[in-house]
Amino acid sequence: MVQIVFGIGITALAGALATIAGSAEDTESNIGSQGDPNSQVQLAPQMGFIHRIFNKAVAGEPPAYGLWCALGAGLAWAFMAMQMNPVLAIVLGCVLAALVQGVYATTAYLGRTASLAKFGQPVYVDILKSMTSVTMAHAFIAIFAVVTLCHLINGALGHPFPLPLLGLIWGIALGAAGSATGNPYYGKERQYQNQKFGAGVPISASGNIVRYAEAGERNSLDNGFFTHKIGGSASGVCFGLIVFLEIWRTILFENVSAGWGAIVVGILLILIFTVVDRYIEVWARRNYGPYTEAKVVS
Amino acid sequence: MSAVAAKPQAGGAMNPTAMVVGVIMLLIILALCWYVSPGLGLMALIGIIIGGVLIGFGTHFVPVGGAPAAMGQAPGIATGVAMLAAGAGLAGLFGGAWAAGQGWVIATITGGVGGGLMMAITCMMVNFIYVFGMGIPSASGKVAKDPITGDTQAEFKSQGTEGHGLPFVSFVGGVTGGFLGGAGGTLIYLQLLSLYETKLPTLMGVPAAQVMPIAVAAAGIFAVGLFLVNAVLTAYNITGTIEGPHDPKFKRWPRAIVASAVASALCGFVAILIVAI
Amino acid sequence: MSVKVEVIEGGIPHNKIMIAGLVGTLVCLYLTYLNVLTNTEVFAFFGGLAVVTALIWGSHTIKVLCSYGIGTGVPSAGMIAFGSGVMAMLLATKPIFGMAAPIVALVLAAIIGFILGYISNNILNMKIPAMVRALTEMAAVGALSLMGFAALITGGFTFAGLTTGTVNMLGMTVSSNQISFIGGGLIAVAFLLGAIAIQHPFNACLGPGWKQDRMLMLTAECGFLSMIVAAIMSFALISAGSAIISLIVAIVGWAYTYNQYICLSKRDAAAWLDAKPIPDMEGH
Repeated sequence: MVQIVFGIGITALAGALATIAGSAEDTESNIGSQGDPNSQVQLAPQMGFIHRIFNKAVAGEPPAYGLWCALGAGLAWAFMAMQMNPVLAIVLGCVLAALVQGVYATTAYLGRTASLAKFGQPVYVDILKSMTSVTMAHAFIAIFAVVTLCHLINGALGHPFPLPLLGLIWGIALGAAGSATGNPYYGKERQYQNQKFGAGVPISASGNIVRYAEAGERNSLDNGFFTHKIGGSASGVCFGLIVFLEIWRTILFENVSAGWGAIVVGILLILIFTVVDRYIEVWARRNYGPYTEAKVVS
Repeated sequence: MSAVAAKPQAGGAMNPTAMVVGVIMLLIILALCWYVSPGLGLMALIGIIIGGVLIGFGTHFVPVGGAPAAMGQAPGIATGVAMLAAGAGLAGLFGGAWAAGQGWVIATITGGVGGGLMMAITCMMVNFIYVFGMGIPSASGKVAKDPITGDTQAEFKSQGTEGHGLPFVSFVGGVTGGFLGGAGGTLIYLQLLSLYETKLPTLMGVPAAQVMPIAVAAAGIFAVGLFLVNAVLTAYNITGTIEGPHDPKFKRWPRAIVASAVASALCGFVAILIVAI
Repeated sequence: MSVKVEVIEGGIPHNKIMIAGLVGTLVCLYLTYLNVLTNTEVFAFFGGLAVVTALIWGSHTIKVLCSYGIGTGVPSAGMIAFGSGVMAMLLATKPIFGMAAPIVALVLAAIIGFILGYISNNILNMKIPAMVRALTEMAAVGALSLMGFAALITGGFTFAGLTTGTVNMLGMTVSSNQISFIGGGLIAVAFLLGAIAIQHPFNACLGPGWKQDRMLMLTAECGFLSMIVAAIMSFALISAGSAIISLIVAIVGWAYTYNQYICLSKRDAAAWLDAKPIPDMEGH
């Protein structure tokens, strides 16, 4: 009984850390403008729209976060193998991983912007100086949360994988979940804020991102504060649910019916989420209505 | 992040000669494995091939829209297909590895359920953001009616776009893809783990309990590597984006089965040779 | 609607870079073998230099491949390179190959890459002229980079060296399989370090103003940056003195290449502004 209570406690802590990680990851990728929405930041100067947005083209979010988390976990593992205190080891490891992330971010911005010289896009050194530290800070929060939850899973719950491999797995999963949830919100809602609300961006408007903000010229910090409210929170809830439910169903049900209990619970959870998704889809169709008259399909 | 093709697109045509060559290569590798390590090695290779095919086939189901999806111009998830499939499959592998002690049937299904659960939560949150964050309903650009629910799609597509969000068939596709990917990855991991657990103690001259970390870590990183190879090959097959099982590009799956089988056989054979020679 | 990549010509031809990278990597890997001859670990830093040369070769290969427009992103190329290279590298470290391990890794990975290239071009019908050769080269680069990381972190490239380490228990040093390059999972970190470092230079310098010397300088910078963190991780597995040598070599190399990269970017940029507004363009 004590074993299960201890397991549930660790699971709850891991779920909370995962929620923080998801939120920080999405906000960081929006401040740095990483992943698929970044293609618009790249395209804008080619269509004549010069901007002051940070163009961080460091792969996509899943492989990039896979690297930062695996690196943080690997460094933490190395420090722990040298008999350092686990908390100090994790903190130091994540600081170094965040520094590496910062260097990659600066080289990406310089490289992409220098290659757009033909269209007159200048390198803004003040953008480089102000955004880099903010992305590094958010990345540190995300990396630290993931490495800590990996350490809890490995140390307290007894998962067989070594710490760096767990960091790789959860880093890639974090990037996938955060990018899937947060990218459309950043790309459509904030980058194309001047387009009509409630509809996708028409192809003719490609490249015409918002460059003049509420007061002055928009930069990535404005994007970060806006997207954090919904996109960041949703990404956090998404990744938190993933980690929490995955570990929860294993801890509670893995010994029920020699393992089939966890499988049945997992399938039930999938069905619950399917019903919720269908409800969301039908709610939208009913409450928002169609854009045009329904054509009779012959 | 995607590069516009500077050459004519190859399209969905099948190349029968190449498929036959692929099958022959597969048989040659199986024969070599039987010669080098019949029994345990051959069993492991067959398991790895099946796992690789599951990953390759499952990745076709995952709805990926790429850069246009990030602007609400195309349906699907706005991430790269290889990495999204890898994320779901690795989350499944995590669960499957934990259940490794309960037999390979339970562990594989657990891995699949883990992957499917991750995709279910992610796809639901994607729709949540589209509907409640951006006020955009889901619509597919490739079919007039959703094959599963029968909802009409055309009038819910905003002007100038190819569709947006995740229609129900794409959601089901995503969950199926996550399930198959997680199951495939776990199967590869379990096969390599049982092979290494049996052979490494004699090879390295250390007791079995002490060599477990090596077996687990090596099997784990090989599973990750094979996962990425199969997912990237599928990404090449569908040229980057696919709406789900209802997309016409889905019909290209036979090519991917042969490709995944040969690639997994080859890499699996090398992984088996580590303990067989 | 997406980034248009044009096939850029000019600069040092790819064959020269390939031969230079290949020879350089093999020489550096064999220089780490001095560790075995002198029974120390101080030559481990040559493993890091092997990684840098291999990455320079590999990033130019990615540039050649992706200039044709493969339809998916650049990072997938890095993933498939290292995904196929990791198994070849581990097989090549087995005792029966002995000193020939780097050459065996090269040949084995090239075979795997060749078959993967054939699969992509013919079975998957991608029909890109440079595909088969590029995937062959990239798999070889993947295997050699991983071997370089292994040599940097453990001091050698033998199977025994990668799977055993020592741990200090109650004052006694005990041999352990868990504190090792493979057992501790450091191979996963090396895998991703290399996979991101090989595709970042082309991905980051993508655009109409692509210049070869800027991209290659960025590759060297990524290589030395990976070497810094790998050297820090090596403190757990090799003697402190050797690790400090690797760390110093890596920091000096990184500082130089990063500075040069910033100078080259300044040379190529349209303007280098500090806290200035968006310039007025006609009609926008």
